[in-house]
Amino acid sequence: MNMPVATRRWNWAPLFFVGPFLLIFGVFILWPMVSSLLLAFQQTFGPETTRWVGFKNFAYLVNDPRFWKAVSNTSIFTLGSLLIQLPVALGLALLLNRPKMVGRSWFRLIFFSPVLVGLPFVAILFSPIFEKRIGLLNVSLNMLTGGAWDPEFAWLQVYVMPALILAALWMYAGFNMIYFLAALQNVPKELTEAAEMDGCNAWQRFWHVTLPEIRPIAGFVTLLSIIGSFQIFELSLLLLNGTSGPSDRGLTIVMYLYQTGFIAGDLGYASAVGWVLAIFLMGIALIHRRLSRGQEED
Amino acid sequence: MRAPFASLLRILSPGAAVVIALALVSSVVVWRMKVEPRDGMLFWVFAPTHFETYQRSVPAWNREHPESKLTMAQLSGPALEQRLVSGFFSGTPLADVFEVERVMAAKAFTGPLEDVGFLDVTDRLHEEGLFDQINAPSFSPWMSRGRIFGIPHDVHPVMLAYRADLVEAAGIDVSSIETWEDYFRLLRPLQEDLNGDGRPDRWLLNAGDTNVEVMQMLLYQAGGTYFDEQDRPILNDSRNAAILARLVTWFTGPNRVSTDLGISSALTNQQILNGTVIGCFLADWTAGSWRMELPGLAGKVKLMPLPAWEQGGRRTSVWGGTMMAINRRSPRTDEAWEFAKELYLSPENAAALFRKTMIITPVKSLWNLPVFDEPDAYYSGQRVGRMLIDLAPDVPPRPSSPYATMAQQLMGNTLIELRAYADQHELYTEEALMPEARRLLEIAQGRLAREIGRNSFLTAKEAP
Repeated sequence: MNMPVATRRWNWAPLFFVGPFLLIFGVFILWPMVSSLLLAFQQTFGPETTRWVGFKNFAYLVNDPRFWKAVSNTSIFTLGSLLIQLPVALGLALLLNRPKMVGRSWFRLIFFSPVLVGLPFVAILFSPIFEKRIGLLNVSLNMLTGGAWDPEFAWLQVYVMPALILAALWMYAGFNMIYFLAALQNVPKELTEAAEMDGCNAWQRFWHVTLPEIRPIAGFVTLLSIIGSFQIFELSLLLLNGTSGPSDRGLTIVMYLYQTGFIAGDLGYASAVGWVLAIFLMGIALIHRRLSRGQEED
Repeated sequence: MRAPFASLLRILSPGAAVVIALALVSSVVVWRMKVEPRDGMLFWVFAPTHFETYQRSVPAWNREHPESKLTMAQLSGPALEQRLVSGFFSGTPLADVFEVERVMAAKAFTGPLEDVGFLDVTDRLHEEGLFDQINAPSFSPWMSRGRIFGIPHDVHPVMLAYRADLVEAAGIDVSSIETWEDYFRLLRPLQEDLNGDGRPDRWLLNAGDTNVEVMQMLLYQAGGTYFDEQDRPILNDSRNAAILARLVTWFTGPNRVSTDLGISSALTNQQILNGTVIGCFLADWTAGSWRMELPGLAGKVKLMPLPAWEQGGRRTSVWGGTMMAINRRSPRTDEAWEFAKELYLSPENAAALFRKTMIITPVKSLWNLPVFDEPDAYYSGQRVGRMLIDLAPDVPPRPSSPYATMAQQLMGNTLIELRAYADQHELYTEEALMPEARRLLEIAQGRLAREIGRNSFLTAKEAP
């Protein structure tokens, strides 16, 4: 029996569809990544004047107090975001997930709306709020405490990180609330009803039923918050008028990268900072992945 | 070869084919498009008030020099800075001539001397006798490793603006004030609790440990500095330690006399208007800004030379600075040089600049222009121009080191830490704070030296 001989034809269609992605990925992601990796081993005075310095940028970074100040500030901000922002977001979601609550759609919109206006707006809004003596926050706290609160409390001069955490809370609590709301709406009602019939109180139902059910989403939101918090830049820059604040109290890792690369012109050292941050964030993502996989297996 | 195209056309809808064809054609057009060479010179300015002042001069220059016409454009400060950095570092197009602020210029001095993007005008200044015509301290920010890279635009002497209405209503005569000690002692009754909450609501000075600009003005006035004559860092100088220790006694403790309102924001201005502070530091250019931004203070405020740190000491300081620089790569450097001279040496421009901005020219031969002797109604009829010119020769030098901003930041951080130490240990005298000031400045010195040492482009001989 004669089998038909398959004519060997080059099929261009897959390449055509993948081509634009490959081109854009190559030009805007792969090539800059390779370039920045090479830059991290050079000292530069702009891209034209460069000198190969091996691992000196990384060695300097290890003992650079400004880098560690940036790491410390960013870590404080991240911790603040995790320990304050996420519980607030979850609390709001639990509150707005109650079916009998009047006007809950409006409240959802109100709490979500700050994220629509963008970080520059938040910075401009909060700058006068944090002002000494005449700022809304100090004046209100002074009134509420019957004059005990010092109106000269220097939010943007001394307590920079708490100020940033507060501003970010206003902006992102509603955003994270949406994730938690979606997760809560997927918790099977039968489970909570069964727990209720078994005599569990509200806290027990939350702890033993709701929380385990929303754990995958909570883990995802936590990962997003950590990555987002470690990349904080615009809020700090705009609230502090383009500076890192007195005594570098508002210096974050990305701001340090920006100052080094684009203000001082040392692209090599800035690349080294960028790579350290990238490797750290990759590590966080891997740990999260490992933990998530462990939970799934459980 | 027909097969792939045929299969491609089979896959694509007509619309997609049109979009791709348009994209390809437009890409080729853009790629092949020729940029017409600019006609004449381009001049970048960042300050709106300078731009307005020069509006008269540019048409006059173009009429008189049709062969080297000039176009003036105003860019925001950050935009100009970014374009300069891009131009110097990667060769993107730049103007032929530009006005540059002090901090922007210092960045150009980080690399090798031959890579500085500004034209070296040292020899031109000396050969044409301009160097001796210009106020000597005005050159300092534009010099690197002994070479000068621009013509100074200004002097920027600093004075103290005080609320004459409040001071005179209290029957206080400020004419006897010579030192800061005199100022604080004489005006102390004005530091009051106005709302009865037990805290002062009015302070004697707009200054604080978190305000690095004010710290720097006071440091320069008192003879402190970041670098020695060879531009080596000397943050740990004992004079600097004494200055910081004294400043902390102004900013905290039982003898506190100041509060920090910040500089030049709407909230700062509102508090100045409210009378939260009696005295503010004012350079010539900020004196001009006040006239525009704080009209409510007209006739209520006066200027006086800064009180000295000790009897017979310096009565002024310096704040900011701008130069006219020429792009080293411009094909028209000689014409740009002629334009820069015409703009900065013209008596008409010097007078117009003072009227508009209160900035006094650094050209000494123009200091006898009548405009500088005119009384100013805003400053209660004082002859502000003459007062500023009298202080001009005594303006302290400013460093041009690319590490000056970092030095300022480190010195500012030291002041903040010293203030925190004072509060923690309740130590509020200069003597008690000196050992800690010295220790903190040693740390700051180490950090600065380490950062400068990392710059592999500068040999030990060249190090800024």
